[in-house]
Amino acid sequence: MSRFSKTVVAALLAGCALGAHALDRYPGLGRVATAEEVKAWDIDVRPDFVGLPKGSGSVDDGADIFENKCASCHGSFGESNEVFTPLVGGTTKEDVQTGRVKALVTGSFPQRTTFMKVPTISTLFDYIQRAMPWTAPKSLKPDEVYAVLAYLLNLAEVVPADFVLSDQNIRDVQNLMPNRNGMSTDHGMWPGRGMGNGGKPDVKNVACMKDCKTEVKLTSSLPEYAQDAHGNLADQNRLVGGVRGKQTVAPAEGDEKAIAGQPSTNAIATALATEKGCMACHGVANKIVGPSYQDVAAKYKGQDGAEARLVAKVKSGGQGVWGAIPMPAQSHVKDEEISKLVQWILSGAKAQ
Amino acid sequence: MGNPMRIRAAEKDGVTEVKVLMNHEMETGQRKDSSGNLIPAHFISELTAKHGDKVVLQAEFGPSVSKNPFLSFKFKGGAKGDKVVVSWIDNKGDTRSDEATIG
Repeated sequence: MSRFSKTVVAALLAGCALGAHALDRYPGLGRVATAEEVKAWDIDVRPDFVGLPKGSGSVDDGADIFENKCASCHGSFGESNEVFTPLVGGTTKEDVQTGRVKALVTGSFPQRTTFMKVPTISTLFDYIQRAMPWTAPKSLKPDEVYAVLAYLLNLAEVVPADFVLSDQNIRDVQNLMPNRNGMSTDHGMWPGRGMGNGGKPDVKNVACMKDCKTEVKLTSSLPEYAQDAHGNLADQNRLVGGVRGKQTVAPAEGDEKAIAGQPSTNAIATALATEKGCMACHGVANKIVGPSYQDVAAKYKGQDGAEARLVAKVKSGGQGVWGAIPMPAQSHVKDEEISKLVQWILSGAKAQ
Repeated sequence: MGNPMRIRAAEKDGVTEVKVLMNHEMETGQRKDSSGNLIPAHFISELTAKHGDKVVLQAEFGPSVSKNPFLSFKFKGGAKGDKVVVSWIDNKGDTRSDEATIG
């Protein structure tokens, strides 16, 4: 705000010095701003109270103004959380003593209210005068701004209920602001070499000149202990389609291939059945067009030569055993693949 | 003696609107502190608002009411200059009573 107004003043001064010249150069365009116009623009109040208008207002007056113009959004006591975060709350008598809001450090208050954060009272004055009420900014007279601010200070238990805030005592109240010592310029976010840590930025981006990485690889993974947070992902993915879940739970003993991260024989057979189109007509556990693999396994369980008979049926097709719908010859599947599939079916058609 | 309440009472067309902001921890008794111990319940259990001698509002509060509760109610018959007294008692027997003048 102050920087902005400085620019305006500087522009004005420049305008005065060069005004005639500028107007000569662009005849008929614009004019020098009058002193009144600049005064109407230049309303900022700075932390050193430059720009503070004369006036005063009491807590009682402020309560009435607040009730009429502010309470609909901020609540009668500045406590409302419905439209904006609360204005008041979270500060204690000790904060007024120390000038640092303890709740900001300990996190004991669930929110950050205006009075917890704001270090300078001039900021509040400036903001109320400039921007409030929301529907009619700049409509409050200086005395009304003083009154509203006095009421807020009373709600925050900074000043007593009979207090009258004025341009005379506002400096004293600044020394009571709960978070007056909470502002730090000791970081690179603050502009200029004369401020804070001397303008040293908070982040440092140095170009790599030696042993640099050649490519950027973005990965994401859960830490080891959290891999099974949602159970075994391999069990939760469908058996059809190209996506397989990761084995996130250590498999039972005897399934060494899965332990080593290799797909098991069953998983390979499942994928093969999917790839060759068997799954289009046969389900693992349920009948689709043809019988389910588990039904087939149950029917031929323990029979001699079942494997050879089934291999032949898959190869040249068949009809009648499971109903009238024929199974066509599967000539596109290689012999060793057929026997692998048949072995898998007869072993119970397990997924893993 | 608990922390003071803020009360505002305003009369308009024969109806007085009272707004109260209480200052109370309102612990439910179900929260745990950082070392895992239950924080004992501490909440306002009963609230009474009086206009003169007449009780205009009586409420039973409980652990479900928020910290620093806000209460607003209206009653008929108040006149400017009358006093409204709001008082509460909490489950530990602590009480607080504050008053405001109807404006």
